[in-house]
Amino acid sequence: MMKWVRWGGFLAFLAVMGTVTALWWVFVDGVVRRTIETEGTGIVGARVELEHADLSVFPAGLALTGLRITDPDRPMTNAVEVARVTFAVDPLNLLRRKVIVDEMTVEGLRFGTARTRSGAVASRSSGGGDGTLGDGLSEVASAFSLPALEAPDVKTILAEENLETLQLIETLKADVQQQMQQWTQRIKDLPGKQTFDTYRGRIEKLKGATRGGLGGILGGVGEIRSIQTEIERDLADIKNTHKEFGTTLASLRARLKEAVDAPQADVRRLREKYSLSPQGLANLSGPLLGQHIGAWARQAVAWHERLKPVLQRVKEAGDGGTGPEVIKPRRGRGADVRFKETHPVPDFLVRRAKVSLELDIGDLAGEIQNITPDQDVLGKPLIFKFSGEKLEGLRSVVLKGSLNHVQPANPRDRVDLRAQGYRITAVPISTQPAWPVALKRGVADLRVGAGLRGNRLTANFTCNIKSMNITAGKHNDSNPLTMALSSAVSGLSSLSIRADLRGTPDDYAIKVRSDLDRILKRAAGNLVRDLTSRFEKRLAAAVSRKVKGPLKELQSGFAGLNGINGDLAHRLAQGNDLLGSALKQGVSPGGLPGGLKLPF
Amino acid sequence: MLGIIARFLRILNSETEPGQISLGFCFALIVGLTPLWSLHNVVVLLLVLILRVNVSAFLLGFVFFSGLAYLLDPIFHSIGLALLTNVSLEVVWTSLYNSTLWRLERFNNSIVMGSLVFSIVACLPLYVVSTILIRRYRAHVLAWVQRSRMMHLLKASKLYRAYQSVSGVGGSA
Repeated sequence: MMKWVRWGGFLAFLAVMGTVTALWWVFVDGVVRRTIETEGTGIVGARVELEHADLSVFPAGLALTGLRITDPDRPMTNAVEVARVTFAVDPLNLLRRKVIVDEMTVEGLRFGTARTRSGAVASRSSGGGDGTLGDGLSEVASAFSLPALEAPDVKTILAEENLETLQLIETLKADVQQQMQQWTQRIKDLPGKQTFDTYRGRIEKLKGATRGGLGGILGGVGEIRSIQTEIERDLADIKNTHKEFGTTLASLRARLKEAVDAPQADVRRLREKYSLSPQGLANLSGPLLGQHIGAWARQAVAWHERLKPVLQRVKEAGDGGTGPEVIKPRRGRGADVRFKETHPVPDFLVRRAKVSLELDIGDLAGEIQNITPDQDVLGKPLIFKFSGEKLEGLRSVVLKGSLNHVQPANPRDRVDLRAQGYRITAVPISTQPAWPVALKRGVADLRVGAGLRGNRLTANFTCNIKSMNITAGKHNDSNPLTMALSSAVSGLSSLSIRADLRGTPDDYAIKVRSDLDRILKRAAGNLVRDLTSRFEKRLAAAVSRKVKGPLKELQSGFAGLNGINGDLAHRLAQGNDLLGSALKQGVSPGGLPGGLKLPF
Repeated sequence: MLGIIARFLRILNSETEPGQISLGFCFALIVGLTPLWSLHNVVVLLLVLILRVNVSAFLLGFVFFSGLAYLLDPIFHSIGLALLTNVSLEVVWTSLYNSTLWRLERFNNSIVMGSLVFSIVACLPLYVVSTILIRRYRAHVLAWVQRSRMMHLLKASKLYRAYQSVSGVGGSA
């Protein structure tokens, strides 16, 4: 046995382990720094830089200095910059590969700081744009465009618009032509004057035959019956065809009526599109203020999307949810399988993070609790609260909320913002050349509450602006409508805005209401009504002129169809006459030629 | 490359016990195929150093099996995942999962588990086969190789000089 053991090897083992420990001690800070940079860059998709990392063993903890995370959508800007992060780690849990931080201090947290060199990484695909954190204003602007405030030119409108009336006329014209061809061909094969003349000749011939005795009379009865049946069959054919044609003609006439009425529908549609209605004036808050609120909502949704990996880990249950969980692996590193723990603890947890946030308006102090991607294990949601007072241009602000993913299938997130005494300066409200509007100054009290339950997004926004000064309109404005609107808003000193957002993070609708609606309607409602009425009259006349010719052409196309109808009616009359006269002349049912009666 | 071949020949031709060389290969199999920074590899290293294992065979095998591990990682992942998600073994894994030592070993990672099980299972056949092959090589091939015309030519070659240059380095029991 001893032959297999060399005790000197134990010393060699100690030497190897000592060397590894010494090397780790010397290089660990650099390794930690590079690991954070490499892993962070991979996760964010843009360069993550760290000036210095200091790992301590007794007590176990880490201090990071100068952390900069590039905004992947704007490589010359840091999404987040942190002056210093310090935290102590629970060493026993660290041995179990669990990073549990009781308290973390984040100093000098700033957003959107400028970079001296680009933080873009080559592997990140360009384009896309989904979930970007741009100002979002341009994306939502189109959804909140102001209606036309100038009297639109009817000629230009008709040159650009396709009238539905003309489309209807063209389709109907083609159908009328097609039906004409079909029916002309079809009535050619129907019995007409020639056929009836033949019958008449045969009847006349039989009348002569009655003089040939009883045998001739009886033979004539059979022949007359046969002619009568033939005439009745031909008449039935004509009758059916006439009936069928009547249905077709009625349908085409109904469509003609539609085409005749269509110009009114066109006028209505174009009026609604190009003219500001009194109702539109009463909803001007949406176009004026909605795009700003929409842009904020879009930014908030994009931030929430980015925070998702921090809030909830992607897990796959081994057997329908009750077995071990498989944590999705990073490529080439296998998958970690989690089993039920006697005392469940998240893999990563920061129980409390004290954050000092440096903004342009001043510093905010805040606290975040329970930062973990395993809220279901911890059983507590992430909660946060930031507040600041006497800031530059803002008397006080409180931002608080909770991101509750304790039940991963039913997440409930909530954020509330309350800002008081926010000084607004030079905010453009409408950049439309016809009617520019800008909020020069004002003091706003703002309250925003937003919630996301599962995929259901709701948000309420309330803003009261006081000491307000609005500039509206342009110099030498000759448009009576915009002049009236400008005059109405320029005199405002306070404004109350309320917005409600409903929908899903991908598809939501924003409803904005404000005092403006009432004020603008009162100031320019009658003027708009009058302008709209005059515009409608001009539009109706122009549409009527444009469709008059094609409509006349269409109506003349119906003359041919009416001719076919007349022809069929004539044939029917001819046939009936023949049948009537033939019977009158002695081919009555049960009778004999010459008015003789049979005894049975 | 020549150096590695020469070192391999030196190990085979040495007076070292075939079992010691084979054991070196077996330990190399475990360290080479499993993730290097795993707790069990510290134990393997301790065994390599305190047991009379051929260290040269261990180092040579480690280089070879490390390269092989990159190719076999997907298979290890499948084996590991199949074992870790096996319902009948769940009680065992759960108890190990609640032990700090086993968590440090990171047994619940599919590649760690798959490669460790694979290498431990492969150890015994590798030991037996390599011992037999070394014995047969020495009994039947070595003398013939030494006498062959080819070996004479080889002795005059660069390869043999490389072999001589490593002669006396490591590998002894």
